[in-house]
Amino acid sequence: MILRYIILFLLALTSAFTEVYVSQDILNNVAKKYNKFAENRFVNMEHKLEGLKDKTTIIKLNTVNTFFNEVSYKSDMENYNISDYWATPWEFLARDAGDCEDYVIAKYFALKYLGIDPKQMYFTYVKSTQFKEAHMVLTYFETPTSEPLVLDNNNHFVLPASKRVDLTPVYNFNGDVLSASAKKANQKTTQKWDELILNIKKGKI
Amino acid sequence: MTLFKQLSILVTLLLLSIFTTVLGVNFQNSAKSVQDQLYTDAKNTATSLSLSLASANGNISMISTMINANFDNGTYQSISLVDMNGQLLYERHSERKIPDVPKWFVKYIPIKAPIAAANVSAGWNPIGLLNVQCDTATAYMHLYTILYSLTISFAVVFIVSLILLYMLLIMLLKPLKNIRLQAEAISNNKFIIQEKLPYTQDFKEVVQVMNIMVKKVEDIFNHANETLRHQSELLYKDEATGLYNKKYLLNKLPEYLKVDAQRPDGICMMIALSGGAEANQALGRELVDKLYVDITTMLKRQAKDFENSLVVRMNGTEFFLLLPECSEENALSLANYMDHGSTILLSKDLDEKVTFLSFGVYKYHHTQSIKQVISASDYALAQAKVIPRKEHVYLHKTVSNEEIIGKEEWRKLIKFALDHNTIHFDTYKVLNIKSGELVHNVLSITLLSESQKYSYGHFIAPAISLGLDIEVHKKAIEKLLKEPPFELKNTICSLRLSEHYLDNPATYNELKSLFEKYAKNLSFKLIIELPDIVLAKNSKQLQIFKELFENYNIQIGIFEFIGEPRDYNYLKELRPAYIKAEVNYFLSQTNENLSSLQVAANSIGIDLIATSVMEIEALSTLKAHKINMIQGRATEMLG
Repeated sequence: MILRYIILFLLALTSAFTEVYVSQDILNNVAKKYNKFAENRFVNMEHKLEGLKDKTTIIKLNTVNTFFNEVSYKSDMENYNISDYWATPWEFLARDAGDCEDYVIAKYFALKYLGIDPKQMYFTYVKSTQFKEAHMVLTYFETPTSEPLVLDNNNHFVLPASKRVDLTPVYNFNGDVLSASAKKANQKTTQKWDELILNIKKGKI
Repeated sequence: MTLFKQLSILVTLLLLSIFTTVLGVNFQNSAKSVQDQLYTDAKNTATSLSLSLASANGNISMISTMINANFDNGTYQSISLVDMNGQLLYERHSERKIPDVPKWFVKYIPIKAPIAAANVSAGWNPIGLLNVQCDTATAYMHLYTILYSLTISFAVVFIVSLILLYMLLIMLLKPLKNIRLQAEAISNNKFIIQEKLPYTQDFKEVVQVMNIMVKKVEDIFNHANETLRHQSELLYKDEATGLYNKKYLLNKLPEYLKVDAQRPDGICMMIALSGGAEANQALGRELVDKLYVDITTMLKRQAKDFENSLVVRMNGTEFFLLLPECSEENALSLANYMDHGSTILLSKDLDEKVTFLSFGVYKYHHTQSIKQVISASDYALAQAKVIPRKEHVYLHKTVSNEEIIGKEEWRKLIKFALDHNTIHFDTYKVLNIKSGELVHNVLSITLLSESQKYSYGHFIAPAISLGLDIEVHKKAIEKLLKEPPFELKNTICSLRLSEHYLDNPATYNELKSLFEKYAKNLSFKLIIELPDIVLAKNSKQLQIFKELFENYNIQIGIFEFIGEPRDYNYLKELRPAYIKAEVNYFLSQTNENLSSLQVAANSIGIDLIATSVMEIEALSTLKAHKINMIQGRATEMLG
């Protein structure tokens, strides 16, 4: 208990001087809306991400992948009572549940916070031959032509794509890349992506 | 500018600005919606095409084929593929199509088709970005159709709204229109009372106040009317018999003794009871008074067969009977009949040699003066009283005026004037003796023969007897309207119309047609003068003449007014500009009588004008009586 308060104090102190992933407001709101466990998960995530800032990309990828894979899988219908919904990282972690898109989103924004160039990451629509269903993973590209590393909620290891024979790639999507192109014409990106960005900005939990 | 016009302009501008704004906003929304749709279409195409391109596994020739197929079968401005480094891999671009809409529309409504992008992959790897831009030509046509439909529907709604609002405005401002009419009527001295009060409180209060004001003025007129009638009765009637008195006769005789009298001659019969004092002694005053009433009844009975006859009690014992168009023979037989009848009236207790009725008969001619007629009648009665016969009837024969011009010669003269259009007008002034200003010019018809000018007084009697007076009047009016004398320009003129001319059934239509032709833009203001007796008796029938005159801004005036004891409401109905009466009428009235006439006339804006003012001495008396407008020879002396 004492340790928790110390961490919270240190977090608050550091947040006053450095940019944090989770703002104090979000933390307060999570505590209010959900429970102490949820708040702890956020504190824990912030602590973990702070510790990764100076680490190598591969450590960042592995740690983030492992951390978020701890969250339980739950379909959008069960979770939000709608067939398809892209949850913000805060909703995902606060509820401690989500579907494959929610893992991808949480990992993407965490890695982006840790300094990974968004252009190197893609939301990849894949077909899972194991589960015989549509699935989404986060892929990381060292270079545009290099073999990507796959961050999958069904697999705790970050593996090269060639090792993931159980997955068939269908389509790559990167909202930030599209946004950069759309911004020039003052246009939107895609409905899902725009809605997600808006919810993140609003701090939707 | 009327309130209705102001509100109409305001409502129109307001509606116009509302509809223009709504139209503008609607169109802007539509334009935005069309632009959004362009983006959505492009985005959908980009996503679905990029998914298809993933199957090409990065094979550029396959990718370009697929882009071509898509481009050729859709409506796109451009589709391009750039690699991850931003280098163009493939592009299709169409020449800008000119949309089938007016050029100004394209000039003033810029539509920029948005570019939608999607990632393209080959296996696990992204290979680039696909950019899709839809064609704007269809959007322009779509937007133009929207603008056209919006404009048409808004125009229809605008017009319908405008009509409805105008109707509402007319309904709301209807009381104001009535108020304006009432105000105009008040300024024209007309009495209009609005029975139906407006619903709007402000209008209601105004109407109530105006009604009270009108009622007060009407009450003043009604009171003056009643007083005038009462005073006239006191002034003109004999209390015992109810007959008119000598004063009335003197004021009434000019109507019979005028140049254009309808009935040129007739009989004056003076009847006197001799031995009145003896009768009083023998029978007592009451019975003698009854005797006078019986005599009155007898005279009235005999006179009623003659149109426009007059029975007057001249004094205590004398009566005057005026019988137009009665011959000497008829008058004599009538006098003899009444003489015999009188023996029944007179009591057996009276001595018939002392108490009897005398009948002096005299045939008058309309060209004679009042003095001549009264003197001759007096003479006839005096003779009747003294003739040593049983019948006390005397006919005073007059030496008829020899006509200088014979009847046929008159016919030739008048016909010549009619055929050669030699009808002219003499003008006489009506002056305001207080201010010295000219009130109006009186026009008098004259005829020119080859060598001489004949005045109205000169030719009208022969014209009447020859049945040419109506034609003369008609030609005179036509000439006045068609070729008005130049000197009348911008003046006010009056023209008298005779009773005979007005009685003619064709007169109304002839006047109407003449007015339609010539009276629309008269260079002078015309007042038509009508005899008082005609207006008083036929005020309802003359309304149509008044309405006809009003259409051409022609007023009516009254002449030959003698203030008979009657209801003067016809003045209120016909609203003449003025009343003309002989100077003797004004001078013979009591102060009360004249005052009542002035109050009644003033309350409805009628001027009083004294005519036949011959002597300058009369002016001070007229001024004292507040009669400030005169006509007659005295005006020439005033200058």
